[in-house]
Amino acid sequence: MFKLALKNTLFYKGRSITTAILTFVSTMLFILFISMQDGSHNSMLENSLKIYTGAIEIYAKGYRDIGGNDYLIEDAKAITDKLSKIDAIEAYSARYETYGLLSNKEYSAASMVAGVEPSKERVLSSLESALREGKFLDEDSKNCIYMGAELASKLKLRIGGEVAFVGGASEGSFAADIFRVCGTFKTGSFEFDSSASFLARSYFDELMYAKNKASYITIKLKNLSDADAVNSQIVKILDDEKLESLTWKTLMKSMVEAMEVDNIFGYISLSLFLVVIFFVIMIYGFINISSRIKEFGVLRSIGLSKRNIFLLLFYEIFILSTLALIVVTPLSAYICYYYSINPIVIEGIADMYKDYGIVSDEIPFDFNPFTIVWNIVVIYILNFISILYPYIYINSFKPIEAIRHV
Amino acid sequence: MYRLILKMAYKNMFLRVHRTLLVITMIAVSMSMMLGIQGLYDGMAENMIEKNKRSGSGDIALFAKEYRVQKELKYRVKNASSIKEEIENIKGVEAAVLRLKAEGLLSTARKSSFAFMQGMDLEGENRFGRFEEFLKEGEMRLEKGDAIIGLELAKTLKLQIGSKVVFSTQDIRGEINSIALKIRGIVQTTNIELDNSAIFVDIGEMHRFLGTNEEEATQIAIICKDEKLIEKLVIKYPELEIKSFLELKPTMKMMQDVMLIFNSITFFIVMSVVFVGIFGVMYVSVLDRIREFGIMISVGMRYKYIRVQIFFEALFVGIIGYLSGAVLGAIILLYIKNHGVDLSSFSDALEMWGYEAVIHGTIKISYFTTTFAAIIAASFFSILIPLRKIKKLNPIEVIKADK
Repeated sequence: MFKLALKNTLFYKGRSITTAILTFVSTMLFILFISMQDGSHNSMLENSLKIYTGAIEIYAKGYRDIGGNDYLIEDAKAITDKLSKIDAIEAYSARYETYGLLSNKEYSAASMVAGVEPSKERVLSSLESALREGKFLDEDSKNCIYMGAELASKLKLRIGGEVAFVGGASEGSFAADIFRVCGTFKTGSFEFDSSASFLARSYFDELMYAKNKASYITIKLKNLSDADAVNSQIVKILDDEKLESLTWKTLMKSMVEAMEVDNIFGYISLSLFLVVIFFVIMIYGFINISSRIKEFGVLRSIGLSKRNIFLLLFYEIFILSTLALIVVTPLSAYICYYYSINPIVIEGIADMYKDYGIVSDEIPFDFNPFTIVWNIVVIYILNFISILYPYIYINSFKPIEAIRHV
Repeated sequence: MYRLILKMAYKNMFLRVHRTLLVITMIAVSMSMMLGIQGLYDGMAENMIEKNKRSGSGDIALFAKEYRVQKELKYRVKNASSIKEEIENIKGVEAAVLRLKAEGLLSTARKSSFAFMQGMDLEGENRFGRFEEFLKEGEMRLEKGDAIIGLELAKTLKLQIGSKVVFSTQDIRGEINSIALKIRGIVQTTNIELDNSAIFVDIGEMHRFLGTNEEEATQIAIICKDEKLIEKLVIKYPELEIKSFLELKPTMKMMQDVMLIFNSITFFIVMSVVFVGIFGVMYVSVLDRIREFGIMISVGMRYKYIRVQIFFEALFVGIIGYLSGAVLGAIILLYIKNHGVDLSSFSDALEMWGYEAVIHGTIKISYFTTTFAAIIAASFFSILIPLRKIKKLNPIEVIKADK
């Protein structure tokens, strides 16, 4: 049956070429589209995780929903000691965050001011690598403040400039101090750069009465894909109902949802192309079969069953699809691979969409063999479905009717 | 003669009824899907632009020079009230409002966040952009000590109706000043800047809080029909910076352009594939009847009549496909326009990006006219190669040949 199918595909050249070309086009479109979509999503996610958010973060229950000093982690060291026993964790650090007003002689601005452990932040976040001017913090930075470049610009501050801080300390009293600008950073995230500033915890803890306290503990993993498994391990090892450990999927719920929505719209658009191409493949298959009704009548008369006819049609579409896929798969995979290493750059896109959290002008593709495989499987399935109606049509004829068909 | 040709074309169209129906189904399904997608995407973009205009700058906005860069209170329009009155008297201006804006820190007992306070005249805003329609929760009331807050900012600070907040900022003298406010309403404008960071108060109260006088504002926003008004204003108020909506929101312009490019590419690809489908059917249909055409030519029928007949066959298929697609597409578009696509389960993400959870589509006549033109063109071009085949036909050979 396979041999017969092969001969048929060679004989009916018009149908074969059209089907193969359409399969080629739809597969190429499908693989590249999904690769670009996944690539840009991964890039957004990686950029966000790289900047400041941890793969996993541990909070006192209530801090995220209600907030305030009542929901701080009171004994951060006890938790970090436990975390040090987990191999999959690359680094962790306890951060203390508060909001306050920063003012110089003329200007004021609201800011998130965080006490961080500089040596650990070097591994955990891209704060140090985002340095634009001055220097990053170290453990003995004292009242040095490391400030977002947009925030510094808003306050008209330069390196060495002084800025007054007014905020609330961890036990509810007012906290006020004068900081000296030691460095500015630019991560590319407009919101972050225009509202965040950092001090070394050793100094900030004194000011905020926050020794051994933390707003949360942030964790970097050796492998991001292990987040769920490691999180379960953390929950088990902490064994404390007053704490919650959350992965980036929860921490960045809005972004994850946004990507899902983007996927939905992407798939809707793509489905239009696939449906139209599916119809044309089906029409060409149908035309081909309706011109071979006599042939099928003869085949049925000499003893071929309906199953054999189905197999014949199946093999024909299988051969045509496979031929197209053999050509298109390596080609598409190479394009995905190439653009995953050398992303497409659209100058100014990050600036244009800064409000939407876009921090890079690069649009990388994602090269994932598993994704390419499922893309190919979808195309195979669509092509196989396209033979169903022609098959039903051909079976509506009795063998004698088919032989006499004009 | 043409009547006979028309009749023959019509009958031939149904000679292979399954084949014809498949092409018609293909045109109808692809066209209706395409219309639905175009309507949905255009609706998303238009809805966002319209609401951004109504809640934000309007069609044109005036600022003191330097204000947009420095965002400081000292760069305010000093005689804003009189300028507003003058503008309101210009023909084509539908509404104008004054706004006062100051950035600062918004705090509850437990949380704080960066925010900006926008002073506005609620009645004027309702006339300007039906501001009351943005209300998501609570009531539209701005009396002394009242505030209305953007949805995302309310979420960030876990605020509810009745919650108390303190807004701190620098007043006109450079002193840090704070004001206690009670949340009366929560609004969703789909303007990211407002939803994420704005707290709205009465402009009179804000003047008292900041020490500015009632003549002053940081922005004058205008809704107008006259597209050339901006040129007149630039000449009339050279001391001010005057910008159109799309100049102030280049992202929106980019979004419009991207939608146009995307819809055009989609349209081109879909119509090309539809063309391939019609072409295949017409080509085979001609080949199937090649003897019939040979006989027609032998008995003296002129080629031009055969050409017209085949053209009508393709046209009938195209038009029936188009009509089916137009009806199906119109139903989809009407549904999307009236009921919308409910994406509430992704509301967090959509709201964060300035979209509503239920996305409503739009309907444009151009969707139907351009598709009609494209399908007619596809039908016409699909018969060119089959016609060439007939033109080269040798009637004797064709009649003699076995089928």
